[in-house]
Amino acid sequence: MEVVLWQVLAATRGGPNRARILRALDERPRNANRLADDLDLAYNTVRHHLDVLEEHDLVTSGDESYGTVYLPSERTRNHWDTVEDIFTNLRE
Amino acid sequence: MVDAARVAAGINVVLLLGLLRIWIRNYREVPGSILRGLILFAVLLLAENVVALYFYFNAPAMPPLAVEVMMILQVLEAVGIAVLFYTNWQ
Repeated sequence: MEVVLWQVLAATRGGPNRARILRALDERPRNANRLADDLDLAYNTVRHHLDVLEEHDLVTSGDESYGTVYLPSERTRNHWDTVEDIFTNLRE
Repeated sequence: MVDAARVAAGINVVLLLGLLRIWIRNYREVPGSILRGLILFAVLLLAENVVALYFYFNAPAMPPLAVEVMMILQVLEAVGIAVLFYTNWQ
């Protein structure tokens, strides 16, 4: 799981932005639109990153298809020390 | 057959440079041992492919079987690196 977290959040092309998204969701769960606004990213970029994060079970979402709120998954919570490690190194 | 090996080695060099670019850029943003390992891995594989490419353009006459096997190895390596590149591009 540590390797998956590093791979998805740090090693891939969109990794650092995905780490920023996960950090924002940890502060407060929110939907794709809010994420795009708060992180100053394009909505489609956020959409793509959320899909990758969800595919790897790093975030989970509510039931509504539109405006659904995302939050860190149970699996991510269980390895939160690794996530913190990545956040600590993440430069703005 | 040596042409296929040359093309495969050339593709490998290009893809590995692309991977290195992603990993080195990300390492500046998020340093960590896994990224360090990936960068070292890519540098060594890049060196292998540069040597291979040089060899394919300066190779002595070799038995056809040896040429064929080397071509197969090079093409398989290209497929592997292409898969890695695809997953890291997302």
